[in-house]
Amino acid sequence: MTRNMRWLATGSVLAAAAFAASPAAAAGTAAGTSVTNNVTLDYKVGGVAQTAVAASDTFTVDRKVVMTVVSNDGTTISVSPGQVTAVTTFTVTNASNATLDFALSAAQLAGGTAAHGGTDNFNANNVRVFVDGNGNGTYESASDTATYMDQIIADDSRKVFVVVDIPLGRATGDVAGVKLTAVASEATAAGSLGATVTQTSGANTAGVDTVFAEPGSANGNVQYDGQEFAFDDYTVSAAALTVTKTSRVISDPVNSTTNPKMIPGAVVEYCIAVANAAGSATATNISVTDTLPAQTTYLSAFGIKVNGTVTGSTCNADGASGGSYASGVVSGALADITAGTTKTLVFRTTVN
Amino acid sequence: MKIWLALLALAAPAAAFAAENVTLSSEVFVERVKPGADGKPAVVREAPKIVTPGDKLVFELSYRNQGAQPATGFALTDPIPDSVAFAGSASPGATFSVDGGRTWGPLASLKVVKADGTSRPALPSDVTHVRWAFGQAIPAGASGKVSFRGVVK
Repeated sequence: MTRNMRWLATGSVLAAAAFAASPAAAAGTAAGTSVTNNVTLDYKVGGVAQTAVAASDTFTVDRKVVMTVVSNDGTTISVSPGQVTAVTTFTVTNASNATLDFALSAAQLAGGTAAHGGTDNFNANNVRVFVDGNGNGTYESASDTATYMDQIIADDSRKVFVVVDIPLGRATGDVAGVKLTAVASEATAAGSLGATVTQTSGANTAGVDTVFAEPGSANGNVQYDGQEFAFDDYTVSAAALTVTKTSRVISDPVNSTTNPKMIPGAVVEYCIAVANAAGSATATNISVTDTLPAQTTYLSAFGIKVNGTVTGSTCNADGASGGSYASGVVSGALADITAGTTKTLVFRTTVN
Repeated sequence: MKIWLALLALAAPAAAFAAENVTLSSEVFVERVKPGADGKPAVVREAPKIVTPGDKLVFELSYRNQGAQPATGFALTDPIPDSVAFAGSASPGATFSVDGGRTWGPLASLKVVKADGTSRPALPSDVTHVRWAFGQAIPAGASGKVSFRGVVK
């Protein structure tokens, strides 16, 4: 057997053995378990076997309260201005050797560096916390309604969502940081959040004592305080649209298309260019409307062309027919405009 | 936590054979690292009042031959409690079992049979029993201690 094979095989059996030997896993022996060590001593006197002597001692395993809170989002959550129900996801794990409830609360950062490196510069609205009811990791408002973790057995975990609404008017790159805190609570009864767990202070008691044992960590978590927290953040990705309207004379009744002049009867082409700045979110549902000057008349023979292109700052006056004209107003819908691209709406009028 | 320090002198019927010849006691301590008198971390042994998973334990077995004659064939057997993982440091002379006491030997000689029928070398955490069998007689009045370490699972 090669060294590698041996190692692999050993690993798999270790796992199997661990399950077989002890139902408790990472959280360890359940609180309240009595551990008795029995010893027997066999001996002979004068070559004759004597009755064995036995001794034992017992201690009780106390409750070790440990939990972890981690963000599941490897990167910031991208949100649009005005977005409702923007969700960050956390996992709260009960690493204690006893069943616990966990009280959950979400708070917002007040400035400073957010979880994924941005600088917190605004607060979201309507901050809520919900437990993932069916464990699928996706927030569903109908089923994910619990606001605390109920009866979490040792080594079990739940996904927890922090749900916020993003205010209108935020610009691309704006960051809102959030913090989820889980506080160890007594699993007194199913269906209700128990009292906050308190550590046994002073002398050891005859019953099961409670010891806070969370490690704390670099992000400001305090060691041995019975609660843990983690950070996540939202970053705004807005569309930054600019609209440019240009016009050019196509022809006039005297010069036709050769150096046409803006005289009555001339045909004038208008180009409305909608540009979305680089780095922005894709703009959707774009609707353009333009009210014609009273001195011009819509040229229905040309119609309206939408989703055309520009080259540099020059309107290419291309695109597909679309849009509509009614009562002196030209209107048309443009397709989605991704970051750094431009789409146009083009129509023609004659000068009265 | 309560400590039961029970000396089970089982031997009411055996009283005729000098049942109280040998006494045995088992004690367990929790080892913790705490700042010592000089401020530096020091390992201290405490009674097992607060014990949580991961704590390091020291089991200490004390025996005394209080009879008038030497005791021979002296063998101490200690099954490791279910919730404790053996963590080594057994006093010299110990032999081990990883199969519930069926076979015994130095830990390095023991194998654990895996599910697929092949075997691997035993690890300290596989140990189910520790035994000290003394080749020499324990003189009258003599006493001693053996110990081993464990970790609360």
